[in-house]
Amino acid sequence: MHVLTLILAEAVSAILCFALVRFMMKPYEVLGESRYIGLPLGFGFLGTSYIFMGLALYFESFPFIEEIKWLQLFTQAYAFAFLATTYYFSKKPYDRTRLWWNIAYAGLAFATVISYLIAFEPPMFELPSYKTVDEYFRLFNTICLTYITVHTLRSHTSQPDPKTIWIPLSYLLLGFSQYSLLIWSLDSSFSAFVGAHLLRLTSLLVFLFVAYQAFYGTRAAPLAEGILDEEASSQR
Amino acid sequence: MRKLPRRDRLKIYGDLLSILYSETRKEKVILTRVQLKANVPFDRLKAYIIELKELGLIQDETSPKLTEKGKVYLREYETVLDFMKRMGLTYQ
Repeated sequence: MHVLTLILAEAVSAILCFALVRFMMKPYEVLGESRYIGLPLGFGFLGTSYIFMGLALYFESFPFIEEIKWLQLFTQAYAFAFLATTYYFSKKPYDRTRLWWNIAYAGLAFATVISYLIAFEPPMFELPSYKTVDEYFRLFNTICLTYITVHTLRSHTSQPDPKTIWIPLSYLLLGFSQYSLLIWSLDSSFSAFVGAHLLRLTSLLVFLFVAYQAFYGTRAAPLAEGILDEEASSQR
Repeated sequence: MRKLPRRDRLKIYGDLLSILYSETRKEKVILTRVQLKANVPFDRLKAYIIELKELGLIQDETSPKLTEKGKVYLREYETVLDFMKRMGLTYQ
């Protein structure tokens, strides 16, 4: 595939991710709970990882190109780790897990700083080859995305609604995208490589569609009957 | 009273505004009914209503109706809850 097309795919992915950050920030802003900070952080890190990848493709002879590739790996893994952590803590009671989610986010932030330092200042021992680490990271990303897909799917099946099926689908596509990259890394399959990029772009577009629908699709409608009121009447 | 998980203040405000909004469409807001729906003790409900008034989200304490600011906040609150539901996130 032409390098320019790949750079374009990375740039479009990064733009989509940063557009999503704006929407993902809302739960944290309105509800003021730090456990939801993982959503904007996750998509922010994801967008940054695509920028790193685009830079690595554009400046092939750049002196820090190896470091940028490593940064891309770390950043993407943290993106999915932040998202998975957010989903994990979202189903836990607020008052009992507050300390744990703060510890989890602090731990992830600390690990991010340390890994970035390792990328630029390698330790005394030699790091394994980029390709090997890349495969492990893809596997980690796929596991995180599988967890999120199952979580969102369970949430959908507990209260089936046509509006809530899109997000498990988009996480599934993102997971398949990581899996396809893993396949490509193992057998250099061209179709897996192209498929991974297409799946990722489709997934990000679905995320954007859902966010847009939630925030602007109902804007013109009058204030709906309170959500709590609906829940209360369904329980009666 | 049904058992609900503990809520933080913002969630209680959001829930109360949501209930008050649906109640104001009836003839008169009856605080006992609001209390039952919100699942909070009456003394705490009174305290929350005073706080909501101080924040400019409701008009008066005896028959609380949402101000424009309150309606804007409630719309944003419900939009975010809807977004979180679509995202598969649980808010409790």
